This record gives sequence, structure tokens and C-alpha cells, in this order.
Amino acid sequence: MAQIVAGFGVPHTPIFPHFVKRDGPDCEIAKLFGAQKAQLAATRPDLIVMFDTDHLNTFFLDNLPIFAVGIDKSFKAPNDEPRDVPNYIVPSIPDVAAHVRAAVVAAGFDVGMTQSYSVDHSVIVPLHFLTPDMKVPVIPFFINGHVPPLPTAQRCHTLGRAVGRAIESWPASLRVVIMGSGSFSLEVGGPRMAPGRSDGVPDPDWAMRVINYLDEQKIEQLIAESTQYQLLKAGNVGGELLNWIAMLGAIGNHKPSYVAPQIQNGHAYAVWRWN
Amino acid sequence: MSIFAVNHLCREVLRDHIFRAAMQSAPAKALAPLDLTDDERSALLAGDVGTLYRMGVNAFLMNYLARFEVCGLNGQIYNERMCAVRVDEIGNPVG
Repeated sequence: MAQIVAGFGVPHTPIFPHFVKRDGPDCEIAKLFGAQKAQLAATRPDLIVMFDTDHLNTFFLDNLPIFAVGIDKSFKAPNDEPRDVPNYIVPSIPDVAAHVRAAVVAAGFDVGMTQSYSVDHSVIVPLHFLTPDMKVPVIPFFINGHVPPLPTAQRCHTLGRAVGRAIESWPASLRVVIMGSGSFSLEVGGPRMAPGRSDGVPDPDWAMRVINYLDEQKIEQLIAESTQYQLLKAGNVGGELLNWIAMLGAIGNHKPSYVAPQIQNGHAYAVWRWN
Repeated sequence: MSIFAVNHLCREVLRDHIFRAAMQSAPAKALAPLDLTDDERSALLAGDVGTLYRMGVNAFLMNYLARFEVCGLNGQIYNERMCAVRVDEIGNPVG
């Protein structure tokens, strides 16, 4: 049977590949992603399931699901031209993706799907750093965290739990890593940008509180406080926390191996490994 | 629904390199065939992103106009005009 062997929380800032190319392997971003890369390799994954919020690149305002899963043998990335990210074709496992979708629909979640699709920086930037040879198949599981109304945090956590059960009901032996991609507090292109920048961190106190809740395994508290109002207060992409919350639902109640903050960016790098 | 047209063209500045080049060199001509109101068209050509935000255009999409420097925008000008928009705690325009 498939088993979930680890959880990862990852940022996906699109300029980070350029910064690392510019600043070299000893810069903070390279080191933080490098540590996660080593952890990921140690888990020996056969599959990554990544909860992600598309930035209106895979989907758009004319066709925007709350939840959706990519079901195809591969997908292309990136479709939004982040600087210094090569074009990739990422393998996937459509049978597992379809199995997961069927199981979570049976569990009461209305999950759409996409085929023959491409993805943006929010999926490919973490993979660019963590698995650049793109040998590990990836299934993206999309959660709308940007365009209100957002799904509730509780709903996302319960969805994650259903996804986890679905994965563990897959009959073949697979080592599966769950990822949650995104930031805790970030405003991109909106009025709460920092002066002179294209982004900003409107609620660093919230970002720190999220990090503390993750570190202290206070997930119920995190869910309770992650109201739509708080997520939007944290920035126009603050809803990306829902991806982490879904990941936590999928992996179950485990203590994090570490949570490494980058408060100046409103996010963190985190790993959950338990065996 | 014309705000959709504004949001859509912002994304096309990213995805359609021919449209991007047209917006960079001859924006009035590039916008001419699109389903826009007069106010939307004027605001776009003036790079008046504050007004467009107050009309309901998605800021994340609008940021592509600055990223690809169309309609007289660049990162700094975009930042100044957007940050001048008064908003409430969750980013909705006020006043």
C-alpha cells in the first residue's frame, strides 16, 4: 500500500531562482532550500502530492474551481515566466491522481480536474530547488486561496485528511511526500506593497503566530484563527496558508522536524518526518 | 462583463508575446478591439492603476502591466500609484 512518509511546507517566491543564481549557493535562500532538498532525498519519495494555489495561470476568472487536481501523465512548467527558471516537463501519475479524486469526491468534496495543463511558479519554484532533475512524479492539488470566497481552513484541513486516506488506500507500494506551497503574509501588486517593491508583508505578526502554531503543533488553534478575514488581512495571497493546512491534514498529527522562518518574506520552510 | 476584459488583457500581457509587444509600442491600437468601457480604456492608457483597482481589477494580474512596462508603467510608478489607494484592513478600497 502507499504510505505518506513526510510533509513539507515550502515558499514559492518567483524571484528566488534569480536571487540564488545571482548570489550563489551560500545565500540564505539556497541554504534553506538546500536543507529541504536533503531532507526530501532522505525520504526516498516515489511521488509528491503538492497542495498549491494557482495564480490565475492554470485556471482563470472564467473557470475557477475551489478545489481541483491535475490528472495527466505529465505537466509543463512554468507558464508565467519566473526569471531564471528553465522550462520543465514534470512527470505525474494519472492513475493515482484519478484514484485520489474519486476517493475525495466520495468523501463529500467537490473536486474538479484539469488535463493537458501547465502550472506556474507556485508549483515549479519549490520543485526547481528540491527536485531539479524532475524525476519524482508530482500531482498538483489546487486550492483557491486567492479569489474570495475562499474555502474555510477547517474544510481544507478535512480535505487534506481525505486526500491522505485516499493516498493510503492506493494498493501499490509508493512512498508519498505531501507538500504545501505558499506564504503566510504577502501582498503582491496590491496597495499594501512595501515602498519601492512589488510586494509587501502586511501582517508579520500573523506570520510569526502561524510559525509558532506550526512549531508547537497547535493546529486546531491555527485553523480557528485562519478565518477568511485574517487570511486577506495578511495580504492578497495570504490564503496560500490553506495549502499548508491541507498538507497538515494529509500527514496527520506529527511534530515538525523544523520550521525555519523568513519573516521578512512572510513565509517559512518546514519539514515533518517521523520515521 | 468588462472588468473581466481588463483582467483578461492583463494576463494576456504575460501570456501573449505579440499582444505584449503591441501594448508596449502602441497601446491604444492594441486595446482598440477589446470590450472595454471608456473609463477603463482611459485608465489603462494613462497607467492609472489606482482607478483600475478601485474599479475592481485584480491587483495580482495588474502587476503584469508594471512587470512588462506597458502604458507608461514600471515597478516604481506602479508602486507609488497603487500604494496611494486607501484601503481597509483586508485590502478593499475605501473613500
